Amino acid sequence: MIETLKSGAEDLADVERVLAGDVRAFEGIVCRWQGPLVNMAWRYCRDRGRAEELAQEAFIRAWRGLAQWRRESSFSTWLFALAANVFRSELKRFPTVDLPLETAPEPSRPALQHHALEAKSRHEQVRRAVLALPLRYREPVILFYFHEMDLSAAARTMRLPEGTLKARLSRARALLRTRFPHLDEDYAGMEFSSQQAGKEAAR
Amino acid sequence: MNPTKTDRAAMDSTAIDRILAAEEELIPSSGFASSVMERVQEEAALPPPIPFPWKRAVPGIILAAGVFGWGAFELVREGARALRSLPISAPHLSATLVLPIEQAGWVALALGVSLASWLFSHRLAGCSGLL
Repeated sequence: MIETLKSGAEDLADVERVLAGDVRAFEGIVCRWQGPLVNMAWRYCRDRGRAEELAQEAFIRAWRGLAQWRRESSFSTWLFALAANVFRSELKRFPTVDLPLETAPEPSRPALQHHALEAKSRHEQVRRAVLALPLRYREPVILFYFHEMDLSAAARTMRLPEGTLKARLSRARALLRTRFPHLDEDYAGMEFSSQQAGKEAAR
Repeated sequence: MNPTKTDRAAMDSTAIDRILAAEEELIPSSGFASSVMERVQEEAALPPPIPFPWKRAVPGIILAAGVFGWGAFELVREGARALRSLPISAPHLSATLVLPIEQAGWVALALGVSLASWLFSHRLAGCSGLL
């Protein structure tokens, strides 16, 4: 909480300095928000190089539109909403390779000895399947988990009512469940094998 | 006992939640901040965009609006006068009257389309953060 307040005060001070003509002050904003913006962009495209390009574009748009931040919401809310707009429109112009949800492979059951690798691969498949969701369901999922399952923060970023976001999330989960019907069993099995492997290693 | 459909859904969403929430943190490359700042410096060095010359344009816009309004008023007045002079039982308007009315209709339609396209582009630009 103190961190958030501190960051908010620093953002405000940097914005004031930039608007007064000190270009270098924008570096403070870039340094503070580069991690979150690159991570957010990564969730939109799952391509590291592209994520940095998208985040850079978002920073440039933020620079151009800094005077439009009206201080009614926090700087981060404004920045994330702007970034989401940039990512959405850039990915519409130059889309990533989108696979239909049906073609996203369902993982096979993991072999006990390769559980860590299997789990990692399976998790990646689930995350990639999110990109195969229709855009109206994909973006709520991306932003909900990016905001650490904070529904209101995701709703503010998307400028949508919480109820609408909740409904879209629910639909997205239903779509993912149809693609990965054995996810719960596999996940439970993986947790179990992970514990077993841990015990084996301890012996 | 088999879990119910709702239980299954809850379990599934938990698995989905846990997988999607446990995303590894990506660290931006070391040169990222400096490359952003380079682009920002480039943007800052560019001359500011030339503002729309409202001071010069406003008299022209007012004049054009006045001429257009006067033209429209005259058209309606002439049309009404011509209509009054026609016999009530006349089945159709004379060709000299139909042509200007038709043209006025097209002009009104073109203006409406222009206004709608301006509003639409403004809205699009607003949504994409260009304004």
